[in-house]
Amino acid sequence: MTNTEIPTVRPSRPAAAPATGPARPSARDRGTRWLATLFLAPTIVGIVVFTVVPIVGSIVLSLFHWNVIDSPNWAGAANYREVFTDSTVLVSFRNTLVFMVLAVALQLLIALVLALAVNGRMPVWLRSVFRSAFFFPLVLSAASISVVMKYLFNQDFGVVNWALGLIGIAPVPWLTSENSAMAAVILVYVWQQFGFSFLLFVGGLNNIPKEIHEAASLDGATGLRKHLNVTLPLLSPTLLVATVVGVINALQVFEQPYVLTNGGPGDSTRTVVMVIYESAFEQLRFGEASAVGVLLFVLIMAVTALQFRLSRRFVHYQ
Amino acid sequence: MTDSHPTRRTLLRYGAYGAGAAALAGTAASWDRLTGADIPGRDDGSLVVATLGPAYGPEAIRSLTEGFKKVHPDIKLRINAVQATDWSDFFAKILTQIAAGTAPDLVYVATEGVQLFAQRLGVALDDWVKRDAAELREYFADVHPSLVESMMYEGSLYQLPVEFNAADIYLNDQVLKRAGASFPAADWTRDDFTALLRDMKKSSGSQFTPYFWTNRLWGGVVPWLFANGTNLLAESKAPGGKWLWDGFYPAAERGGRGGGFRWTTPQATDARVEETYDYLASLIQEDLCTRPEGGNGQNLIGVFSTGRVGVTPAGGFWAGGLNLAGMKPDSFDVQYFPRWRTQRMQFGAAGYALLRTSKKQDEAWEFIKFAARRDTLMRLFETNQTTPARRSMLTADRYKKTGPNHWQVFYDTLDKFPDTGPIPAPPQVAEVEQVLLKHTGTALSSRRSVGPALRRMQSDLEKAMERDV
Repeated sequence: MTNTEIPTVRPSRPAAAPATGPARPSARDRGTRWLATLFLAPTIVGIVVFTVVPIVGSIVLSLFHWNVIDSPNWAGAANYREVFTDSTVLVSFRNTLVFMVLAVALQLLIALVLALAVNGRMPVWLRSVFRSAFFFPLVLSAASISVVMKYLFNQDFGVVNWALGLIGIAPVPWLTSENSAMAAVILVYVWQQFGFSFLLFVGGLNNIPKEIHEAASLDGATGLRKHLNVTLPLLSPTLLVATVVGVINALQVFEQPYVLTNGGPGDSTRTVVMVIYESAFEQLRFGEASAVGVLLFVLIMAVTALQFRLSRRFVHYQ
Repeated sequence: MTDSHPTRRTLLRYGAYGAGAAALAGTAASWDRLTGADIPGRDDGSLVVATLGPAYGPEAIRSLTEGFKKVHPDIKLRINAVQATDWSDFFAKILTQIAAGTAPDLVYVATEGVQLFAQRLGVALDDWVKRDAAELREYFADVHPSLVESMMYEGSLYQLPVEFNAADIYLNDQVLKRAGASFPAADWTRDDFTALLRDMKKSSGSQFTPYFWTNRLWGGVVPWLFANGTNLLAESKAPGGKWLWDGFYPAAERGGRGGGFRWTTPQATDARVEETYDYLASLIQEDLCTRPEGGNGQNLIGVFSTGRVGVTPAGGFWAGGLNLAGMKPDSFDVQYFPRWRTQRMQFGAAGYALLRTSKKQDEAWEFIKFAARRDTLMRLFETNQTTPARRSMLTADRYKKTGPNHWQVFYDTLDKFPDTGPIPAPPQVAEVEQVLLKHTGTALSSRRSVGPALRRMQSDLEKAMERDV
């Protein structure tokens, strides 16, 4: 940290306003405000139309019974009561939380290890190859990847079990056993998603001044200790961003379990967004689907807020 | 601290904002709901027909459109081929279009959705059928009454079936030879079936699965339930429909017909249902069949055509699929589903449902009749991608190029087994199917799981059936 205070905004008028009342903004200030409003308008309109209105709409819809075909009927809190007593919904929340914890942890770990490896000594072209290769799955459609993975993980005819068979391991019911289906879904999800965290970490690692590492080396820090005591703390803001984005994405997981297992066997891989989709578009219970959506929204807000609160203790800004 | 007292100017400004917002809200509230149809250029006055995309390729769509134009040059037609992985996915997308205010006039609906559409969205075709009886007599004479009955709901006819698929058993000839087994007889039993699977397993490697099945409403557990003389939901017939049977079918074919099927009380805990699941669990335990895999069996054609699967339930649609996968006509064959307590088999049919929201109902009826014509179906179903609903279309010539040798099995599943019926698909079908798939997966994880899983299935089915769609 430096002691130099950098003023961020130049005050447009003296800090102490005259006692007679607020000064009228000048014509120039008013012009600047209109210009700012004009530039911000498309974004604001976009946020209002595509984010605020759907959120408010979902909240309102969660108070009605609506099957698309007939007019909505007032339901009050009935949809929420239904949701809280529906074992499928409760299981889906549990599954989603388990998925979130495991998928995000694995995603961050793999991304960090690979970012550290790629950031090490290697030819520039090879580094570019690795960066592209690790990022590539992210630009593919999750549904397409899941279809391919479904073939690979097929218990009887999949390549994965065929390869395991070569080394004497019995076929694993990847997608058809309650014990392994979630693991398979997590593996597929992480394989596709870790590229984003990887890219963030590579950027974060590049921003750490070499002098700090050199100073740590002079103080005798090596290998893992250097990473734990120097790299990780300095990378913590990037880690926070990667975690927040990872958690939000993981809580909304849909394509992978939908295509790979359709939520099964039983409910073992059914996630909250799958329940929303099934309730709304398959069972025509848009009110209940909206109630689940509102609860997921609240959960995401709460988890994100918790992360930012915890970040005050664990995140170090230079 | 800032001055908390608002000035007159501020009050006036916020007052104006409030009045503006109230005016906007009032205006919006007074309007009819804006829908996708309000987008300029969206509604070009065409008769819109929604079909299941994968079933109707570009060639089929062109054939339908051009053929209809020749007959009805005054009716503008637009085929909207909706891409979907299965019927459930297709219905979800159609309902989304309806919610968006861009409902098609006609929707291609399979048995899975007949009652859902009939109850909530469909228009009964009775009056048009009676009006054009002379024109339709030839159609009904060519279509099995069970298919027509499966398109009825509470006494009224909602669709003219154009295709169907019964769950028959496909056998891989190469695997049969490898096992030293002969082609099964038409009246083969469940025990014959099990013995055949064991022979196939013995003669093949570890990468081989004798029996492959997909966990879904059509062709999953249901054919076994039918064979064991039971069903997922208690089945009965609605009254009515006499006008149709008396008007179009001879006395011999009218017996026992009603106004459509009713599926009501769940019976997942019925002893025969449990026995059926026990049997399937035992096959899994013996490594004679796959564990229930959800989905549409996309990878099945590949594994069957390469001899890694011996037998599987499928309908006439597979003849074309296997031919496309490179199988020669005599490298596979088809037989009826094996007998257990009965040899009742299951089928699903499809036709066009007319939506209540359509403003072109007379034009839509003309399309329904056109789509059920023999020449139309001949052009549409050239590649044997399904079983035509018209008996006269199933000929040796049709199956010469694709096989199978016993192609007569497809229609004889209806003709020789008059109790063959549609899969259970009440208006609550989406939830029923989901419950079935979910608990089947759990039930078959081990033989001990069958009882508890079926009890949970029963409870969930009861809840589903109590719901008003």
